[in-house]
Amino acid sequence: MRTVLTLLGLLLFAAPARPGPAIHGLQAALDGNRVVASFALTDAFDGKLSRRIDSGLPTPIVYEIELHKDRKRWYDNRIDGTTLEVVAVHDAVARSYSVHFKLHGELVESRTVRDREALAAAMTRIEGMPVFTLGDDTPSGRLIVKVRARLGSRTLLSFIPASIDTDWKDSNKFRFRR
Amino acid sequence: MKPSKLERLLKNHRLLFGGLAALLLVFTSLFYLSQTERDLPASLVTNRVLLFVLWYINVILIVVIVFVLLRNLVKLLVERRHRTLGSTFKFKLVATYVGLSLIPVLALFFIATELLRGSIDRWFNTPLAPVLERGNAVAQAFYDRVEGTALRDAGFALREIEGIDLDQADERPRLTSRLQELLAELDLDVLAVYEGREFVRAVLDSQSGIPDLPEPGRDFLDEAVRNGKAVRMDVSSGPGRLVLAGVSNRGKTVIAGTLLDPRVAEQTDQLVRDFQAYRQLEVQKDDLRSSHVLLFLMVTLLILLGSSWVGLRLARRVTLPIQALAEGTRLISLGDLGHRVEVEADDELGVLVESFNRMTAELASNKEALERSSRDLVEANRLAAWNEAARRIAHEIKNPLTPIRLAAERMQVKNEQGDPGLGRTVEEGVEIIVREVVHLQKMVDEFSRYARMPRPSPMPVDLERLVVDTLNLYRDVKPGIELEARVESEAATAQLDAEQIRRALINLLDNAVEATEPPGRVEVAARRQADGGLEIRVADTGLGTPPESRDKLFLPYYSTKGRGTGLGLAIVHRIVTDHDGTIRVEDNEPHGTVFVLGLPNG
Repeated sequence: MRTVLTLLGLLLFAAPARPGPAIHGLQAALDGNRVVASFALTDAFDGKLSRRIDSGLPTPIVYEIELHKDRKRWYDNRIDGTTLEVVAVHDAVARSYSVHFKLHGELVESRTVRDREALAAAMTRIEGMPVFTLGDDTPSGRLIVKVRARLGSRTLLSFIPASIDTDWKDSNKFRFRR
Repeated sequence: MKPSKLERLLKNHRLLFGGLAALLLVFTSLFYLSQTERDLPASLVTNRVLLFVLWYINVILIVVIVFVLLRNLVKLLVERRHRTLGSTFKFKLVATYVGLSLIPVLALFFIATELLRGSIDRWFNTPLAPVLERGNAVAQAFYDRVEGTALRDAGFALREIEGIDLDQADERPRLTSRLQELLAELDLDVLAVYEGREFVRAVLDSQSGIPDLPEPGRDFLDEAVRNGKAVRMDVSSGPGRLVLAGVSNRGKTVIAGTLLDPRVAEQTDQLVRDFQAYRQLEVQKDDLRSSHVLLFLMVTLLILLGSSWVGLRLARRVTLPIQALAEGTRLISLGDLGHRVEVEADDELGVLVESFNRMTAELASNKEALERSSRDLVEANRLAAWNEAARRIAHEIKNPLTPIRLAAERMQVKNEQGDPGLGRTVEEGVEIIVREVVHLQKMVDEFSRYARMPRPSPMPVDLERLVVDTLNLYRDVKPGIELEARVESEAATAQLDAEQIRRALINLLDNAVEATEPPGRVEVAARRQADGGLEIRVADTGLGTPPESRDKLFLPYYSTKGRGTGLGLAIVHRIVTDHDGTIRVEDNEPHGTVFVLGLPNG
């Protein structure tokens, strides 16, 4: 029994940690009563995503963004949540990529880029995006922003749908006073 | 008209089916809306909605099959644990059906899925793929070349006008003239000059068909200033595709525009679009595979559901009549001959059920006939018994009459002869007559008591006390005779008419004690039968009862002793019969007689 457990432990620890898509450099700050977030998504542009974009099909990356009240000794309290959907559409004839930004379902920005690097940057680097507006009902205290990315879906055993998500990433904490 | 089983099933599950269909409609609508909101192409939305519907149906089917199989498995296991008749057969039948269909269906599913995967992979490995890829590469190379040429021309034009000061108004005609020359020299369709984002001058080939000067846009100009160059494919200007190339230096930007031949542009665009359409299909390969796998899975699950349902239904069709027949047999064995098996069956089992019911009906009819015959027999026996009783009464009455008559005749003869011994003869004669008359009186009283015997009034009785008290009457009556009472605890209390049973026991013990010679033993035992009835045994170790007299033992005035009234055992028989019981005589081992009283309600 001990041998089996040892072998299992070895196998678990020996399994190489495969780098996957992840949120990095998440920074949140207050700009007046707005919460502005900046972050980057790394290792998202694999061959599958690139092929899909190049095929001309609308390809989204959906960032789920949540605002929480930070609690030291208990789970954080979710105050608000939104989604930032970044959709890329490749026009092979015009040789350009259109990138649309939809915050909470509303189109907030569209860009046209001509190369893959610019496209990857547009889809995965979010700079100073105002994601939440704080109101009178927002509790005072330390707040924190959490972000994860949804990169589409895949099927297990060819018929069980499963979404491809990154882990949740926490921002720096910032203080809000009404 | 009676509704069919399918109609009843549909009616019973209408709410469930309706609910599932409504859920499917709601979920599909929500899914459709969520997909259309994402500005996806219509074909992609349709495919995804179809996939969703298939997925939903499969999930429901899996849930239904798991529920049906688990529910029936649990039911079968419970039935098997309770040893319900037919449960083992049902279990085996269902297991066989599911097993027989599961193995080939799953094998078919996996084979079909693998074949499909192979087929889909082969579709994308056809020679068409490299053809389309090469076509796209040619188109892209063509675009690269056209863009490169336009950039080169724009750069050339920028260098040519570098010496012209754009801020001087008198230099503008010279700029226009030079641009016209460059337009012709470089075979361009548009040539424009911008200072930052500000338009300065532009010339247009009037033969090109371009209706108006194309607007490059601020993004384009900014990109050109920022990067030194910028290229756009403009599909909105004129009959063909306009390639705009901008080159910038120190804030001055020259834009050269070349209109591609419409036919060439169309063919090239088509090559690119075809390749893109192919790549879209390739990207959706997984969805395509999933939809087919889901379709196969749906068929597989439907077959599985059908086979398990048929197995259960068949098993029920077989086991229900068997269970009903077993129950019917049990009830009939308990005496309920009016029970009939009411199970719908139209095959051999139906014949069996019908035969069973017919047999039960015949049993009931035979029983009735038997009871009628039995009643007749009893009546005949009673008549015969009364005949015998009348004969014996006549005999018993005639026996004392003879000595009376003889005594009277003797007195008459002595009187006629004037015999001096007449007084003595009269005394003897009167003595004889009185003795015989007393005997007659006693006989008449006993018979009268027998005839007036009341119906028993059963009440809870301490049988043990009754037996012991009755036996105590005979203690020391006959030295050397051992008397014993054995009453089991279950029979200690009984529902009887105490006085009548006491009398029956006294009559039996009278005979037993009289028949037993010392050293001997007389025993009264009482116990409960398996069916709850009471059994009382009175056994002695006397000479026993001859087999030939056993049939007449309980008849009135039958006696093997040659004395007594002959009504003792007849009274016992009457008491037992009035208690709805039976009495029989058996030999005791090693010798003697046992009277066995069976009292079912005691």
